[in-house]
Amino acid sequence: MALPLYYNWRNLLRRRLSATLTFFLVGVVVFVLTALLSFAAGIRASLSATGSARNVIILKPGSTAESTSILLPAEAARIVQAPNIARGSTGQLLISPELCVQTNIPRRGPVGTPASVAIRGVDDITYELHSELKIMEGRHARQGMMEIIVGKAARERYANLELGGRLEMGRLANRVFTVVGVFEAGGGAMESEIWAPRTMLEDAFNRRFLSSVVVRLEDLARAQTTIDYLNGPAVELDAQLETRYYEELSTKTREIVFLTTVLIGIMAIGAIFAVANTMYAAVDGRKREIAMLRTIGFARSSIMLSFVIESLLISTSACAAGLGASLFLNGSRKDFLSDTTWTVLAYELRITPGILLSAFGLATLVGVSGALAPALKASRMRVIEALRKA
Amino acid sequence: MLRFIYLYRNLTRNSLRTLMTCAAVALPIIVYVLSTAVIDGLSQFLDNSAKQLRLVTMHKTSFINPLPVGYRAKIESLDPTKKRITSVCGMRWIGGKIEDFPMPLSTLAVDMDTFSATFPDENLSEDEIAAWNRDRRALVVGPATARQLGWKVGDRVTINPSVLPYNPIEFNVISTAPLAKDVVTNFFRMDYLEEELKKVTGPEGWTLDGWVSFFFVKCATHADMDYYRVAIDEVFARSPDETKTQDEKSFMTEFITQFFDLPTNLTILAAVTIFVAVMAAANTMSMNIRDRLNEIATLKSLGFGPSTVFVLIQFESLTLCTIGGFIGAALPYISFNHTPLRNFTVPLIQTLDVRMIVCLESLVIAAAIGVLAAAWPAWTGIRLKVVSALRNLE
Repeated sequence: MALPLYYNWRNLLRRRLSATLTFFLVGVVVFVLTALLSFAAGIRASLSATGSARNVIILKPGSTAESTSILLPAEAARIVQAPNIARGSTGQLLISPELCVQTNIPRRGPVGTPASVAIRGVDDITYELHSELKIMEGRHARQGMMEIIVGKAARERYANLELGGRLEMGRLANRVFTVVGVFEAGGGAMESEIWAPRTMLEDAFNRRFLSSVVVRLEDLARAQTTIDYLNGPAVELDAQLETRYYEELSTKTREIVFLTTVLIGIMAIGAIFAVANTMYAAVDGRKREIAMLRTIGFARSSIMLSFVIESLLISTSACAAGLGASLFLNGSRKDFLSDTTWTVLAYELRITPGILLSAFGLATLVGVSGALAPALKASRMRVIEALRKA
Repeated sequence: MLRFIYLYRNLTRNSLRTLMTCAAVALPIIVYVLSTAVIDGLSQFLDNSAKQLRLVTMHKTSFINPLPVGYRAKIESLDPTKKRITSVCGMRWIGGKIEDFPMPLSTLAVDMDTFSATFPDENLSEDEIAAWNRDRRALVVGPATARQLGWKVGDRVTINPSVLPYNPIEFNVISTAPLAKDVVTNFFRMDYLEEELKKVTGPEGWTLDGWVSFFFVKCATHADMDYYRVAIDEVFARSPDETKTQDEKSFMTEFITQFFDLPTNLTILAAVTIFVAVMAAANTMSMNIRDRLNEIATLKSLGFGPSTVFVLIQFESLTLCTIGGFIGAALPYISFNHTPLRNFTVPLIQTLDVRMIVCLESLVIAAAIGVLAAAWPAWTGIRLKVVSALRNLE
């Protein structure tokens, strides 16, 4: 027979101060956990939504990212020979030469610290390879014009990128590009970028080379053949699946998750001790009551369970409160400078179901393991002695 | 003396609770020490930048645009006496990767002749400077990087640059700069890089050598810095490559805040851990006092005044939290200074230097937590009505 929840609730009310303190403590730990994990989840969501498994990205061997890669036109020309490249609507091979540069744009807000935003120079064919890109407002940038389209995330985060806005770019910062469109790319990293006609960018930045070439595969099953050919002696470049390239960029998030685990682990153990402390006090203060319960027929197990439930009552309600507070973070935009690409990635903090689950898991763990020892003590109490002492 | 015995007895009579409270305070303090150690490391780095009286000149539009090496002579000619601008050092970033080592390195080619004068904070000895001048392949490795990779003076090492020339470059380690303030960055000679660049073909219409990423300009006084920060940019205004000059501290701050805004976020984390510790300690103290209300009433009825009760409660809490704080501060101090964890690298900032001062500071904070946590219980103790307390309790 179990003790009613009402009993636990009344008990908590009797120790109001102690219960409140424990509540806040667990709540704060849960809040920190969700906040830290939401950073990682936001970045990962953005990067994993980027790139297609049907695309192969080709860089200069030795370079670590598009922004540090320099492909000479002669080197890029060799890519045409590769087998298994798909053809587009007009019959030409789907090979997209791209040029990545950066320019400093102030962030929105009162301080307006500059951020190094990625600018991608593209040809018309690029849109066939990056088909996830959709124009939300305005239109595509036309070749040969000083026009740019900006990603949704970039527009929200950086100043003056509204439709019709003007951006000075280039080596001399004297080429004025006009924003003619805003695009979305399935929440991917490209939404933090600005796209421009490649030839115009080459001219403005005085760069007669490419950063990367993206090709679309005809037959997915033979992807490795294409990659091996491109890496081999005939082309001698560094090719990999686009999805893998972005996956590798998100390794930084693994470091955040690792750090979070360590920090939260330490704090959670502290929280367990605090909960255990509270529960021991609850047991000690109720010796007579427990003995009475035993006398009137409640089993050891139901007394033990009752204490665990009491502790869970605090920790899970604290968890709910902590999560509630952290939901305010959900969707807020942040950005960070990657030390691989040297460009900023704007991302949204995301509270995913996985994070909710791990928060509740943590709260349950803290609640149960904090209550276990005191509950055991309560259930093992010698009834006669406890009653006699009273 | 009697009071100390009383205090000691109180702490040991429920040793489990005492132990758990110490742990509940110690663990958040560990997190606090670690996060403040990171902030401290960054601010020490920035303080050094501010002290060095250096300006950084970079391309106006973005750090990806290089500046011509010839700008150095123009900057130097602003002060032919060399009394106000003492030296100018060009720098070119090559990043760097090591085979089977996941983290990217920070490696810079620097002007060989002015490096040691511009960066006295590298603290190179005279022998090392001689080796630097003698050996074309000289490499000064940041002390933390050297420790991570196990590099020692005299080693021959290979770094794969992340940018042109892309081909692996061989170096001789001439110093691991044990006293350097910048613990991760490696420096080598610009003339060696230019030589390596000659081996590869670059894009049409582009010369590969003859460009630098930044110029570091060492000034004599703060007034000179303020003057030349404007003067340098004026020289290059309306030229093909306009410049942006700022003091080294603002330059570095701009970079650091872009990496997850570490200082702000860690400060929040540190504050939160303190909050957690206060909660834990206050909880225990309030339980301690609740359990002992009749004892306190007895003390009072024996004639001990409220001030004695107050001091006893406060002191108990103070002792508990200070012990917890001591454990929480000593653990990271010992493990990050005297165990293999010393080589532990923090992702994002790469080194974790837990200094004594940070630990002492957190000990003070732990004591403050103790005082704060006991405030309410002590107040209850003072207000306690002897008669009703004795009547209510067994």
